[in-house]
Amino acid sequence: MKRNKTSPLSRAFLKVMGDEKRQAITIPLFAVFLSLLAGAVLMLLLGKNPVEGYRSLLQGCGMLPKAKYAGGKGMFTDFMSYLDIWTPMLFASLAVAVAYKAGLFNIGVSGQMLLGGFIASITVGYSGLPAVVAKPLTIVVCVVAGALAGMLIGVLKYRFNINEVVSAIMLNYIFQYVISFFILTFFVNPITRQSETVSAAARLTMQDVEIFGMKTVVPLGFILAIIAVFVMQFFINRTRQGFELKAVGTSRGAAEYAGISSKRTILLAMSLSGALAGLAGATYYLGYLGSIQPKVLTTTGFDAIAVCLLGNANPVGILASSFLITIITKGGTYMNSSIGVPQEVSSLITGLMLLFAACGVYIRARLKRAKDRQEQEEKEAQQAKKEGGKA
Amino acid sequence: MDDYIVEMRHVTKRFPGIVANDDISLGIKKGEIFALLGENGAGKSTLMSILFGMYEPDEGEVYIRGKKVETFSPNHATALSIGMVHQHFKLVSDYTITENIILGMEPRRRLGGILPVVDVKSADKKVAELSRKFGLEVDPTQKIEDLNVSMQQRVEILKMLYREAEILIFDEPTAVLTPQEIEFLLEIIREMRRKGKTIILITHKLEEIKKVADRCAILCRGKLVDVCSVADTSTKEMAARMVGREVSFELEKEPAKFGKPVLQVENLTVKNDDGFTVVNDVSFSVRQGEIFAIAGVAGNGQVEIADAVAGLLPAAGGTIKLAGQDITRASVRARSEQGLAYIPEDRQARGLILDFTLSENLLLKRYYQQPYCVKNVLHRDKFDEKSRDLIQRFDIRSGQEEATIVRSMSGGNQQKAIVAREIELDAPCIVFVQPTRGLDIGAIEHIHEQILAERSKGKAILLISLELDEIMNLADTIGVIYNGQLLKTAPADSLTTNEVGQFMMGVKE
Repeated sequence: MKRNKTSPLSRAFLKVMGDEKRQAITIPLFAVFLSLLAGAVLMLLLGKNPVEGYRSLLQGCGMLPKAKYAGGKGMFTDFMSYLDIWTPMLFASLAVAVAYKAGLFNIGVSGQMLLGGFIASITVGYSGLPAVVAKPLTIVVCVVAGALAGMLIGVLKYRFNINEVVSAIMLNYIFQYVISFFILTFFVNPITRQSETVSAAARLTMQDVEIFGMKTVVPLGFILAIIAVFVMQFFINRTRQGFELKAVGTSRGAAEYAGISSKRTILLAMSLSGALAGLAGATYYLGYLGSIQPKVLTTTGFDAIAVCLLGNANPVGILASSFLITIITKGGTYMNSSIGVPQEVSSLITGLMLLFAACGVYIRARLKRAKDRQEQEEKEAQQAKKEGGKA
Repeated sequence: MDDYIVEMRHVTKRFPGIVANDDISLGIKKGEIFALLGENGAGKSTLMSILFGMYEPDEGEVYIRGKKVETFSPNHATALSIGMVHQHFKLVSDYTITENIILGMEPRRRLGGILPVVDVKSADKKVAELSRKFGLEVDPTQKIEDLNVSMQQRVEILKMLYREAEILIFDEPTAVLTPQEIEFLLEIIREMRRKGKTIILITHKLEEIKKVADRCAILCRGKLVDVCSVADTSTKEMAARMVGREVSFELEKEPAKFGKPVLQVENLTVKNDDGFTVVNDVSFSVRQGEIFAIAGVAGNGQVEIADAVAGLLPAAGGTIKLAGQDITRASVRARSEQGLAYIPEDRQARGLILDFTLSENLLLKRYYQQPYCVKNVLHRDKFDEKSRDLIQRFDIRSGQEEATIVRSMSGGNQQKAIVAREIELDAPCIVFVQPTRGLDIGAIEHIHEQILAERSKGKAILLISLELDEIMNLADTIGVIYNGQLLKTAPADSLTTNEVGQFMMGVKE
C-alpha cells in the first residue's frame, strides 16, 4: 500500500482551496482559472501574446485604458456600454437560476427574451408615448409576455408531462420564426434589414448622454438588474415561496408529502423565470440594441446557462460570474480588432468555463481524496516521530 | 489461528464525525454461520462493506485464508470468492433469473462456429442445478418482475453461488419476509453450511441468530463487545450487550380505552399508475385510543391505503372520513391541517428532503404557519429554536445539530426526526407505515414507546407494518390484507401469530 508522497505543490493547492465551505467559491474560481489558462494556450498556438489578449479584453470593457480613443469616447464610455450589455446577461442568468432552483431547466430564455422584446417594441416602442409612461410600460409588457411564455412551458410540463427542455427548444423556434415573419412583413427597416428602431422615449438605455464631456450610453436597466439580484437572494432564502420552490426542486416526492403543490410551484418558477427573461429581453432589444434582427436568436439566453452554473445558481454568485463572462464576450470584439485574435476564441473560453464549472463535483471529490491522503501521511509521520523519539 | 477463513485485525474505519469501526479484531471459521449483531449505526454494515471491498479500512488488516488483503474493491472480493446479498436487491426486472445471474460473466458460444452469442441454455441448466442442490426452488426462465421479494432474494443468493462464492454475507436478509419465508431462508442457509460454505449474517433479530448461527459477534457503537457461542448465551444476554443495557421485551401497554371513531375508510378502491386495482373495496375504522394494524406481505396494497388516506394517491372509489368530515377529495395539506399525521414508508424520498437541513425538515409541515412564517417571510431563528427543542426531546443525534444536512444522518435518526415532526403536529389521527424498518432494537423500542404514548393520549393510530412481531405487540385490532383486500379484521387478542401469518398468505377461513 505504498503511495507516492504528496508533493509540496499539492499541499499548497489544498491549502488554497480551503475547507468545504470555502470550496463553494474556490472551485468556480479554479474553473475560471483553468479556462483562462486554456485560452492562453489557444492564443499562443495562434501566435498571439496571451497577456496582450487578456489585456485587450479588459480594455474593450473600459476597465483598462486603450492606447487611443476616438473623439468623445474614453474608458468611461466603454465601461458604460459594458454595463449596457451586462444587464441583459444578468437578468437572463437569474432567469435560468430561478428555474434551476425548482429543478427545471429553462433553455428557452432566448425565445422568451425575443417575445418580450418584440411585443414591447410594437406596442410601446412604436407608440410615441412620453418617456415617463413608455419606459415603465416597456418593462411591464416585457415581464408579462415573458412570464406568459414561461408559464406555457410550465403548463405543458405539469398538465401533459412534456419535458420542459423539449418544449422550450420548440418554442424558441416558434418565437424566432413567427416574429421574423411579422418583422419582415410589417416592421422592417429597408436599409438596415432590421426592425424599425424603437422610440428614444421607450428605450431603456439613454443614448448620447453628455457626461464629463463625453457622449455615453446610460443603461437604466442596470440598476434594476442589481436590485433583482438581491430581491432574488431574499426570495430564494427567506420567503415561503422560495422555500417551496427549492423543496420541489430538491425532492418532488417529499415536497408533495409536505403538502406543497408541485403544480403551482412549477408554474410559479417558470413564470418567474419567464418574467426575468422578459426583463432580459427588454434591456437587450429595447435597451442595448433598440431594434430586432429577424431570424436571429440571441446567444445571451444560452450563455446564461454557463453563467448560472458557474455562479452555483446563487444570485450573488451569478452577479460575479456574469460580470466575468460578459467581459470575455464583450471584450472579444476589441481583442479581435486590436490584436487580431479571432472573436471565436472568446466564445471558446466561455465554453471552457462551462465545461470546467460542470466538473466542479469531480474537482471536489479529488480534493477530498487528496486531503484524506495528506491527513493519513501526517498521522504516519507523527507516529514515526514518536517511535523515533522512544528509540 | 490459521483455521480462520476470514480474519480482521484491529480494523478501524472513521467517517466525518464518527468512528464506525473502532479497533475490531475477529476471526470467522470455515463452514460456520457467523452472526453479526448490533444496533443500527453500530458498524455492522460498515465492517462487512470493508470485507466486501467497498471501503478501505483506515487502520488494521484483513486476512482471507491467511493472506493479507492489499486491494479493496468488490471485484477483488469476488475474486476471493466473497459474495454479498445486499438489503436492496440489484436485479434487472425484465430479465429472466438466469440472465440476471450471468450478467457480467456471460458464458459464450459460437453460433455456427463463428458468431459469438451468449449461451443462455447451458447457463439455465447450471442455474437449475445449483437451485436444486441448495433447495432454492426457482425456475431459471422466469422474469424477475413476476417474482415476489422472497424469490428475488433467492436469485441474489444464486448469483453468489453461481460465482462460486465460499464466503456469503447476508445483510438483514429477513427484513422483508413473512414468517414462513424466513423459515425457508434459514433452511437454505443451513443447507449451505452443510455444503461447506461460510456464512456471515448481519441482523438485529435475536431469534434468527438463536435458530441458525454458531457464533455471534456483538457490536455496540463501533466497538466489538463480545464474540459468543450462540448455544451458551441467552437472547436476553445478547440483547443487553447489544444495547449496552437491559431490554424489556414486553411492552407496557395500558388497557384499551376506545373513544369515537376518528378515521373511517369505506369501500376504498385505489388504482396505481397503470390503472391496476391495488386496493380493492377496503373498509375499516380507527377509534380514539386504538391502534389498528394492517398486516400483510409487502406489495399487497397496504402502502397504497396509507397514501390514499394521506392524499398522495387519489381514491378511485369509496370515501375517507376524518373526524366525521369527508376528506376523500381534500388536498394533502388540508388533511394535515384537519388532523392527520403521516409517517411514510419511504423516509428518504417522501418523509425528508435529504439535502435540506434538519431544522428545515423538522418544520416541513409547519414552515408556512405563524410564527415560522409571517407575511410570507420565513423566520429562520424560530425554525432553529423549535428544532433545538425537538432535537432535545426526541433525542435526535446529528453532527451539527439543527444545521446538519439530513443526508448525512443515520437512518435511525432520520426516522426519529420524522416521528418527532409528526407527533409534534398533535393530530388526532396518526398513520405509521413501517415505522421501524431497518432500525435497531434501541430505536425500535423508543418508537414503540412513542406509539403507545400517543395511544394513551387518545390518538387514533393506523399502523402498517411488515413486521408481524410489531403488529402482535402493538395492535388492538388487526386487519390482514392480501391482494388489495382485507381478508380478516379482528381484535388482536383473538388471533395468534400463526393465524395472521396464514391470512397474510391468502388462506381463507
